[in-house]
Amino acid sequence: MASSPPTATRPLLELEQLKMHFPITRGLLHRVVGHVKAVDGVDLTVHSGETLALVGESGCGKTTLGRCVVRIYQPTGGAIRYRDEDGSFADLTVLQGASLRPYRRAVRMIFQDPYASLNPRKTVLQIVGESLRRHDNIGGVELEQRVAELLRRVGLRPEYIRRYPHAFSGGERQRIGVARALALHPRLVIADEAVSALDVSVQAQILNLLQELQAEFDLTYLFVAHDLSVVDYISDRVAVMYVGKLVEVGSRARVFAMPKHPYTEALLSAVPKPDPRLRSAGARVRLSGDVADPANPPTGCYFHPRCRYAQDRCAVEAPPLRELGDGHRVACHFAEELELAGVAGA
Amino acid sequence: MPGGGGRDLLLEIKGLKTHFFTDEGVVKAVDGADFPIARGKTVCVVGESGCGKSVTARSILQIVDRPGRIVEGRILLHRESEEVVDLAAMAPTGKAIRAIRGKEIAMIFQEPMSSLSPVHTIGNQIVEMIRLHLPMTTEQARDRAAELLERVGIPQAGRRLDSYVFQLSGGMRQRAMIAMALSCRPNLLIADEPTTALDVTTEATILDLIKELQRDLNMTVMFITHDLGVVAEIADDVVVMYLGKVAETAAVDPIFHDPKHPYTRALHQSIPKFGDTQRGALEAIRGMVPHPFARPDGCTFHPRCESFMPGECDRVAPPAVVMESGTTVRCLLYGGSDGSGAVRDDAGGHAGTAGGEAGARAPGKGASGPRAADQGAAG
Repeated sequence: MASSPPTATRPLLELEQLKMHFPITRGLLHRVVGHVKAVDGVDLTVHSGETLALVGESGCGKTTLGRCVVRIYQPTGGAIRYRDEDGSFADLTVLQGASLRPYRRAVRMIFQDPYASLNPRKTVLQIVGESLRRHDNIGGVELEQRVAELLRRVGLRPEYIRRYPHAFSGGERQRIGVARALALHPRLVIADEAVSALDVSVQAQILNLLQELQAEFDLTYLFVAHDLSVVDYISDRVAVMYVGKLVEVGSRARVFAMPKHPYTEALLSAVPKPDPRLRSAGARVRLSGDVADPANPPTGCYFHPRCRYAQDRCAVEAPPLRELGDGHRVACHFAEELELAGVAGA
Repeated sequence: MPGGGGRDLLLEIKGLKTHFFTDEGVVKAVDGADFPIARGKTVCVVGESGCGKSVTARSILQIVDRPGRIVEGRILLHRESEEVVDLAAMAPTGKAIRAIRGKEIAMIFQEPMSSLSPVHTIGNQIVEMIRLHLPMTTEQARDRAAELLERVGIPQAGRRLDSYVFQLSGGMRQRAMIAMALSCRPNLLIADEPTTALDVTTEATILDLIKELQRDLNMTVMFITHDLGVVAEIADDVVVMYLGKVAETAAVDPIFHDPKHPYTRALHQSIPKFGDTQRGALEAIRGMVPHPFARPDGCTFHPRCESFMPGECDRVAPPAVVMESGTTVRCLLYGGSDGSGAVRDDAGGHAGTAGGEAGARAPGKGASGPRAADQGAAG
């Protein structure tokens, strides 16, 4: 298979027991009455040069996790260890202000909505050039040249440098977002549903672009997505999240072909297969109900109310995320016993 | 596509043109669309955004937003009584179409909040809908509403009647909207991307529900989507639209295993195949949907087409060709290039901004110089 997991590479980012709990306040004095545990104790390693996809239904905490890594949010617990180019590790959760600036260059984000994420009152030069101006302290002709070069690289015409976002289509706007993320030569790019708002044909163009850029600039992607066919196409490893916790992590090939968590099986089974002849083939797994409320999750395994294999033990005992070998980790009491259906050919 | 006449046919769209008269110029959102909808089948309408899928659907119900209106064509609704009415000829605010909306033809949308009121309970909204069309008392209508909610899989349906929309999750809202659409037992349900905003898991249950309802109630479904996976899952027949015209219509199997139109093939190549072991670069369709003021001459797909034949495709608008397999395709590869009966459309007459807009919109990647010039010339 073309993309085997790069096990030999070193970790670029290590999340350890990462927590992001949002307080729920009530009343005039904003008394804290509870917490939404959007991310609740995530251990995850991102290797240098790989594409790690983070998947799950909406409300599972994927986006929050991504935003913690770029420090849009200040995590409420745990550590985000980032390996510098010299090999030393820094904990991004404790850094503040000026000491965080080097990481603001190295860890960038591409947002989902190409309409909402670009300031309509700024030109492309201002949007893409802002980080260059702030971090590299350049301006004038030099800045214009750098921005023009970036535009060319993402497939936009440099002549458009003084246009405003409204003059571009959705796919072109997403290219501007990619150029902005790449301006400072980052090492890690968080792509939060970067292609899900795009039409299929444009989506293919952006996916191809992301892959070219990864090879060219040796980028590492944390790809937050809910579309599993896109994940299947782009990722090396997959992490499945459910109500703030990881339920399964492993290489794409293993997770898609031999899922070990019932939630992963259900997600894979729900993807419509683009062939009418497969319509009645294979057993279908359908999840009932909705994602559990992260402010008030069920006891035991959070997934047990929706799980068709649930047993008594699942309601009382929370399964830890444990290693099954080959870097395949899963949080299910019965991972070894269950015979779960994956995707043929994955 | 099966059928041709009489009782097999529910709806026929013939030469439909719905244009939007904006200050900047005329946007030809639907520009001569033709396709039939067979009774009791599920027809999927696919294409990229801006191809006129939604406007076609809205034209059927005469709910096209201003400044758009139907300028030409017919939308023939065949009733069981063999009576045929032309929906396109009805006044958008008239009694005739209002009696059909919600009763004979119902519609569900991508965003449930756009068709449900945030300040009325679910129950009240469904009861109002039922009482508008059927002679029932409030109590009878309320019982029916509870039955409907139960039918679409909303737990504790009786209690949910008194819920407001904001109290329901996305999937539940979608179900409530479907319940409301079904309340008067429509013959045709138009579903405009009803699952696009949903998670795959929820999408799967909603698709199951629509399939089941379609079978049980013998309802005809017109399903608009851009997701070919969804099409493969539910369609009987498929209509592929591009720039306001129908590129290809066929049964679902040939659309996937023997697509004729280059646009249909290009759509297939641009989606990541789930479980595919080959992972080369995706073949994106080059360029993008042209600006509405700068529609190309001849076949509107020619600037992006792999099989572009210079001197023909950019000159002659392809006529509909019916293949032996039953596929109808509009492409000069399959005949009609002699220009017989074909009309040159979109010739001139656009606002002066068109050329400039085409330049601004020209994609960085696909459109090389001469193509961009082509587009400019069309304006």
